[in-house]
Amino acid sequence: MNETFAVLGLFDSADALMEAVPKVRALNLGRLEAYTPYPVHGLDRALDQRRSPLAGMVMIMGILGALTALLFQYWISAVDYPIVTGGKAPSSWQAFVPIMFEVMVLFATFTAGLGMLLLLNRLPYFGHPVLQAKAIRGITRDRFALSVEAEETFDPAAARAALEAAGARDIELLPAPARGPWLTADFIQKSLAGIAVACLVSGLVMFAAVKLVPILPPMSHMSDQPRLDPQAESAFFKDGRGMRPPVAGTVARGFMPPGVASEDEAARLVNPLPRTPAVLAHGQAEYRIRCAVCHGALGNGISTLGAAYGAKPANLQAPNFLAYSDGRIYGAIVLGKNAMPSYAADLPEDARWAVVHYVRALQRAQNAKDEDLK
Amino acid sequence: MNPEPTPFPVELPEVLRAPAMTVGKVTPGSLDDQVLRFPAQGPPLKWYVAIACTSAVATLGMALIGYTFYMGIGAWGNTSPVFWAFDIINFVFWVGIGHAGTLISAILFLLRKRWRNAIARFAEAMTIFAVMCAGIFPLIHVGRPWVAFWLLPYPNQRGLWTNFRSPLLWDVFAVSTYFSVSLMFWYLGLIPDLASLRDRTDSRIRKPIYAILSLGWRGAANHWRHFDKAYILLAGLATGLVLSVHSVVSFDFATSIVPGWHMTIFPPYFVVGAVFAGFAMVLVVLIVVRETMDLKNLITDFHLEVMCKVILGMSCLMGYAYVVEGFTAWYSMNAFLHHTFMNYITGTYGWAGWLTITCNVLLPQLLWFRKCRRSYPWMFLVATAVTVGMWFERFVIIVISLHQDYLPSAWRIYKPTLTDYGILLGSFGIFFTLVLLFARVLPVIATSEMKADLPGAQPRHGAHHE
Repeated sequence: MNETFAVLGLFDSADALMEAVPKVRALNLGRLEAYTPYPVHGLDRALDQRRSPLAGMVMIMGILGALTALLFQYWISAVDYPIVTGGKAPSSWQAFVPIMFEVMVLFATFTAGLGMLLLLNRLPYFGHPVLQAKAIRGITRDRFALSVEAEETFDPAAARAALEAAGARDIELLPAPARGPWLTADFIQKSLAGIAVACLVSGLVMFAAVKLVPILPPMSHMSDQPRLDPQAESAFFKDGRGMRPPVAGTVARGFMPPGVASEDEAARLVNPLPRTPAVLAHGQAEYRIRCAVCHGALGNGISTLGAAYGAKPANLQAPNFLAYSDGRIYGAIVLGKNAMPSYAADLPEDARWAVVHYVRALQRAQNAKDEDLK
Repeated sequence: MNPEPTPFPVELPEVLRAPAMTVGKVTPGSLDDQVLRFPAQGPPLKWYVAIACTSAVATLGMALIGYTFYMGIGAWGNTSPVFWAFDIINFVFWVGIGHAGTLISAILFLLRKRWRNAIARFAEAMTIFAVMCAGIFPLIHVGRPWVAFWLLPYPNQRGLWTNFRSPLLWDVFAVSTYFSVSLMFWYLGLIPDLASLRDRTDSRIRKPIYAILSLGWRGAANHWRHFDKAYILLAGLATGLVLSVHSVVSFDFATSIVPGWHMTIFPPYFVVGAVFAGFAMVLVVLIVVRETMDLKNLITDFHLEVMCKVILGMSCLMGYAYVVEGFTAWYSMNAFLHHTFMNYITGTYGWAGWLTITCNVLLPQLLWFRKCRRSYPWMFLVATAVTVGMWFERFVIIVISLHQDYLPSAWRIYKPTLTDYGILLGSFGIFFTLVLLFARVLPVIATSEMKADLPGAQPRHGAHHE
């Protein structure tokens, strides 16, 4: 605390400073540093300071930025979400160039600005002795300071004499700072850890707010519309129901009610559809949607859902089902059988008969005889 | 760099002499006293009157933006087929205004034009405010601005990514990069001046604020060498960026197939137009600033004259661009393009085309005369005309091209609503409110840059030794 950090003297012009620098430097009393209100040409060479490495840093980060943008866009457009737009190939790199350029400039700019301030200049640093000196008022205005800063061995009296001899005025002795620059590796690590913890905590709070408190559903704007949802109430109709029942005595298109009331009545019906590839394809599609989950893709009762529900769906390849008439299968679809509910509401009339055709085709395929090959 | 004493005892004729950048004796100390006194003083009454007016207009604009959020985009005149109208015109206009600041601060810095030092800070501030105004418009144009973050490519629960082949997405990157880079450039330049402000004041409120903002800048030679390097690197980067930003904005149009938009000349044409409009705006603001803040010895008649010459040059380039555009349209032998270009000057909005040509090409020719380059009324006339003309140029490009394209059954006349006009006016209010605040709170002239360039500021030896 009581140690001397530096001895600092002021000059009134850049010329006077430049003349003093070699004189003081020749005595080799300590590290020399100058403080000026504006950049003085040639001062860095006079003080034997290295060239700034900033240009190299900026170039590397700029290239990194361009590559990041290229890979990011390539991965999104060609790998993760390859949607063809404008007839272009998913990996059309030419379209990525504008954003590569922008990201390159962004990376390079932040490297130049923040790299200069934080890494090279170790700013912000509010505790530097020069900031506490009387000289700072002149330094940021119109005067030029030369300071001899302490190294291992330091003789403040000699430094003062040297500065005086070089023509400096208002010489000051600066005490060592109470604490060093706070932008140390330790501080950076602590800050990063702090930011990570803050992100985690705020993320958890957001999650809790969204998931546990049901008052703030995020982004519900699309569902918040002046529209009737299914089963919703409506003040418009007298009975208050938003969904309207069909007008009495009418039938909706394609929703002909089944004309059969009992299995026996159904058994007498004959399949009205021709056995064409189109009908079989229709039947296959409907069978796979409605029937295959229980009766199995081959109609053999080996189902994907059976284990989960403990049900035993019928094996349509069993001899008694092979002997069924078309009408009885139709009846099972329309009226349901045992645990199976009626599918009349899901399958329109022609779909039912198409499914019957397809079940017949499955039965024949699984019980093929030699002459079927001919 | 101060001019070296000539080795010959010859008095150069006036036209060959390096022009004086300041009038009268200016020393680093007097510069600080003159420029940095404003933040410490209470503003005069006229400042309060001015900011009351501009903030009232800004409030009107924001109220109308709020009305648009409430009502939806239907509050505007946009309708099929003119889906882009005032919102996009204003966006292109304001982004363009910003370009002059970057040109002055970056390109003229690289070209070592010493006259830029006095006006760079103000122009950079205007860049930032103009880009802020510009940013409003795409956001409100999307209709549901609270989900505008969908423009950014981030992993989301919808499993969607943005389309990187769309110029609209390039725009998002270009404009946000432009804003960040301009802000960084501006702030870096401010740091030494903020340190000067910090060391001038004893105020218990302002001193800590300046101390924090100046990051403990102490003017060390070791810092200046990195600072200088960073500044010239940023100037180089900003130069490339400023050329790219308005080019990308022009891609929004040029990559589409709308007749009148699908033109290869668009990128340079837009960049020139942007610089042109921006210089006019900077000129108007600087005239007001140098008169009201008594900075005539720093922002001299010479500065204004040089800016007038830039405006004149840009105006000639604009005229050239208009001619080339017209020629391209005629030479294309494309009936749709012929129709669109005839529409620019003879259609329902033909008056807008003629207004554009008059304001952008004909009126600025007045600046050939030295008298006009030295007289406030003429400069005001030309600069205002350029601002109006450049706004209408974007109107011509956007509205006239869109309202009659390939399908005559879809043609429709576009009529803006009062809300449209109000939001446009409001954006000017926001811009000038920010300019007024800046003029009183921060140093309006980059004093450390000016100091380094005053006669005798640099050592006579040293720089030229090796």
